[in-house]
Amino acid sequence: MPEERAHRAFEVAGGDFGGKLMVTRSTGRAVREALEETLADLPKGGTLYVDTRGVELMDYSFADEALGILASRAASGEYGDRHLVLVEEDRDLLENVEASLRQRSLAMIRVDDIGGEPGIVGEVPEHLVATLQAIYDAGSITNAALAAKLGLNHTACNNRATRLAKLGLIHRRIETAAPGGRQYTYERVV
Amino acid sequence: MSGVLTMGSLDPAFAGAGSADGGPVVLDLRAVEFVEPAGLCGLAALLEYLIPRCEEVGIALAGRDVPAYLERMNFFRLFGDRVRTNADVASLEERRRHNPGTLQELINLHTEEEIPGIIERISEILENQGYRLRERVAICSVLSEICANAAEHGRSSFGAYAAVQAYHHIVSGPRRRGEEVLIAIADGGPGVRETLARNPALAEHTTTDNDALRHALEMGVSGTGEIGRGGGLALVAGIAARSGGSLSLRSGTGRVTVYENRKNSRNVPEFPGTFVRVSLPRIPQERTSS
Repeated sequence: MPEERAHRAFEVAGGDFGGKLMVTRSTGRAVREALEETLADLPKGGTLYVDTRGVELMDYSFADEALGILASRAASGEYGDRHLVLVEEDRDLLENVEASLRQRSLAMIRVDDIGGEPGIVGEVPEHLVATLQAIYDAGSITNAALAAKLGLNHTACNNRATRLAKLGLIHRRIETAAPGGRQYTYERVV
Repeated sequence: MSGVLTMGSLDPAFAGAGSADGGPVVLDLRAVEFVEPAGLCGLAALLEYLIPRCEEVGIALAGRDVPAYLERMNFFRLFGDRVRTNADVASLEERRRHNPGTLQELINLHTEEEIPGIIERISEILENQGYRLRERVAICSVLSEICANAAEHGRSSFGAYAAVQAYHHIVSGPRRRGEEVLIAIADGGPGVRETLARNPALAEHTTTDNDALRHALEMGVSGTGEIGRGGGLALVAGIAARSGGSLSLRSGTGRVTVYENRKNSRNVPEFPGTFVRVSLPRIPQERTSS
């Protein structure tokens, strides 16, 4: 089973940013800065749930500035080992988030509710989809077991999972195994 | 000048504006019977171009309906002291009445910070008029994106003019049943070609205004080339096309109109800035027999 990790939820419509109507890059920037502050307060390995369910309208400029840039910075390691999860139902509003993430060749984990089944918004490279699915199916899996499941050699498997970890879509844990050895374990974020 | 004041009906005036030589100019709008938001924003941009170049600018209007409409749309509040007119503006002010179809009177905006307030107001009016959430979202996202483009790229002496009107019938294209929202915005900035030309990677696509306009409607094309930029207009064109409407983008001597299944380009008289018109129809669903 994956380890229990700290998490926090941020209600985008709950702040003083624009209520239900989220438009323009400057509003997006203000929301992103607030999200970054919350992320910085999270312990390492923690997850920030970005809850946009109270938002009625989110234009592309806002979505890109608030979520696209945030996901891009997370993928470049700016927030350390902290993860983002979008809390949003499958509705029209996702279209602009999807468009921004696809433009940036990025993806985020999305759930309908905190604790709900995870899905993906944005773009996961084709060759990583099966690896991501296998890790989420397992909940927690070692590199050796994952490689066996996917029929890959250990290095190829590790490369794929490392890429997914960098995109912020999974956790990667290093455990010391037998003398001098290291073993990677991959876990779903939610 | 035809009976409907649109951007296209102002073409001869734009064609002649380049040769304004400092003397007085009168725009003859006496044949106009109906003004749509695009015509209103086009007229505002044309006046902003002419006023600093001419000793005096006048507009000639006929009847009561068009002057009354211009008054309701705030036209005389914005231009009354800079333009001479034969209309009796004082009496119009006294008779001013609320027009429920007006979503946004002619507004002069300069910065991005003004946009959320405009969107909030329009969303509220649309809600009161019974527009469903999906429709409100489509209309408001279109307006916010094109306003943001104008505020960001359209740095001009006058900023940008925007107007929105809801009609209980279809005003664009062939006659059909339904309703329609028209959104227009005009800025006096450097224009699409010059903005995109700042991105050296787009050199091949900025040889003509129409090339630049067609390219500006592609996803991810922007003057800065930053990832994530240049998505707004492409998505807005998609929203308009899917609703059965259209988006027209005009800048310099180019004009491109995007419909659901085609894109038209044509050369037009020089427009000093960028102009966008979006039509969002609400077509009633045909009842299907079961």
